[in-house]
Amino acid sequence: MTDSTADPPAEEGGAFVEPGKLPVWSWFGSDERSLVGITTLAVVLFPWLLVRAPVVSSVLDGYQSLTSLILIWGIFALGFNLLLGYVGMLSFGHAVFWGGAAYAAGIFSAQVNGSPILVVLFGTLIAVALSLVLGVITLRRSGIYFSILTLAFGQMFYHIAQAPLSGLTNGTNGFTDVDVGNLFGFLDLFGPTESIPLSTPLPVIGDWMYLFVGTFTVLTVVAITRILHSPYGLVFKAIRENEQRAEFVGLNVWRYKLMAFVLSGVFAGVAGSLFVVQGGYVPLESLNWTTSGEVVMMAVLGGAGSMVGPMLGAGIYIYVENVIAGYGAIQPYWHIILGLIFVVVVVVFPDGIWGIPGTVREKLSDSSAEERGGEN
Amino acid sequence: MSLLETRGLTKEFGGLVAVDDVDLDIQEDERVSVIGPNGAGKSTLINLITRMLDPTDGDIRFKGETITDLDPYDVVQMGVSKSFQTASIFPELTVEDNARIAALAAEHGSFKFNFLRHQNHYSEVAELTQETLDSVGLLGQRDTTAADLPYGDKRRLELGIALASGPDLLLMDEPTAGMSPEETQATVELIEQVKEEHGLTILLVEHDMEIVFNVSDRIVVLNRGGIIARGTPDEVQGDPRVQEAYLGGVEL
Repeated sequence: MTDSTADPPAEEGGAFVEPGKLPVWSWFGSDERSLVGITTLAVVLFPWLLVRAPVVSSVLDGYQSLTSLILIWGIFALGFNLLLGYVGMLSFGHAVFWGGAAYAAGIFSAQVNGSPILVVLFGTLIAVALSLVLGVITLRRSGIYFSILTLAFGQMFYHIAQAPLSGLTNGTNGFTDVDVGNLFGFLDLFGPTESIPLSTPLPVIGDWMYLFVGTFTVLTVVAITRILHSPYGLVFKAIRENEQRAEFVGLNVWRYKLMAFVLSGVFAGVAGSLFVVQGGYVPLESLNWTTSGEVVMMAVLGGAGSMVGPMLGAGIYIYVENVIAGYGAIQPYWHIILGLIFVVVVVVFPDGIWGIPGTVREKLSDSSAEERGGEN
Repeated sequence: MSLLETRGLTKEFGGLVAVDDVDLDIQEDERVSVIGPNGAGKSTLINLITRMLDPTDGDIRFKGETITDLDPYDVVQMGVSKSFQTASIFPELTVEDNARIAALAAEHGSFKFNFLRHQNHYSEVAELTQETLDSVGLLGQRDTTAADLPYGDKRRLELGIALASGPDLLLMDEPTAGMSPEETQATVELIEQVKEEHGLTILLVEHDMEIVFNVSDRIVVLNRGGIIARGTPDEVQGDPRVQEAYLGGVEL
């Protein structure tokens, strides 16, 4: 038997596939394939639901640019959640990566090149560099000290952008010279998808900007899912559960934490850059602690530690901020409304809005177990 | 050559000398127990060897190489694994994932740049995980959340995590603390069994005299940080200094 010496074929998704001849699609696990499908479908249907669907859209009172904005903050929250939900580290300085990428993207578009893809790439690169530097410094401490260090460095960057670097950033007024060109040189991102008759495959989407942002959203979900399915996913959870034990099974915990920090910085960078491509303006506030606080609220509100939660939290937050806050009588109180929702969710449903079904089920089974216990 | 040796190992906390000039030699395949009254410096000694604490003075050599300036994870990667006094597990993860994380560290080293590669591609990690769970008898509970295990099983899992790291030297800090007599008996049998299966050298820190005298080839007696006696269980049992310091002069 000559072939008995050959390596046994690797098992992949229940089917035998010869090593080295894996089809591209099999790079994904079967569960990942369905996830890509579901995410794509959700991204495609979302603007239709919010802007164009009969009845629903008029109740929701949404508008087109809101859809892109929600996805952008969703990408930010998903990346942030990698750190908070899976490694259990609370960063209060993620504005540095969001805002740093935003400024980098804006300045790049004005002075070097306006190609949306290059702008996002450059902004993300700067966010990676910033997260690497900040990570090396702040990860020397853990717990509350880590959070405070990230907050302090975040505010440092805010004040640096405000005054010493105002020649570059335009200070308090924000950077207004953003000049993002057409995608691939000919697609106006703000044009409606119908603007190019040849390619109107998805008129439900609304505009090219949404398609651009939506593509990054799907890529983000795929990338984060893959990270969580990689050995890193398990290592992150192990660090969250018992950092000392993780060290004492032989893992370089510090380096894995740094990787988690940088990876979450990548997505903050993608989101911050997209924010500029979409908004055409870099507000100074993008570096302020309020931005760091907003992403914490989004992740916790929706449900940290899940994939849907942070996106949901971002959606609710941005929706309240932009739509509910627009109703005349409510306008002065929208922060209070959001704060109340936040407090209720955190107190009653610690797993966030996405975790409500699970929390309710748990409480029901607990109380029924208590009843049974009482009968005995 | 000794598997593990310490020379003049000393640890001071402020004015207190917790470990005082300890020379220890552990040969391969040996089972050595460290005993001593409370505060004798037993746990500090273990913590020095695992590099959780920095020694004030002295040297620790493992397989002939000094490990005094290594990080804890490096020491584990070299083959020194520790089973904790309290069940130090990953409570919200499944039993299988608890063992898998240690298997992963054993197979991949302390750090690897593979965050885009699916876990399913690492069959050797899965095999090691399965073997480990099998040898501590927890394969049937692989899908249970670790926090839901009874205490005895948590300690078995704790031992499993230590074993999955593929150690040459296993440090056990009071493996039967807080256990019922039945659980203690089961643990002693488990220690014997894994020692045979994995060809381990064991350094045991223990209060329970019965276990110490049953399981050890050699015993080292610590008192106030220093070694006051060493030898076979019989020699140590008969040593008047030991009876004075540790057994309070009571005849066993």
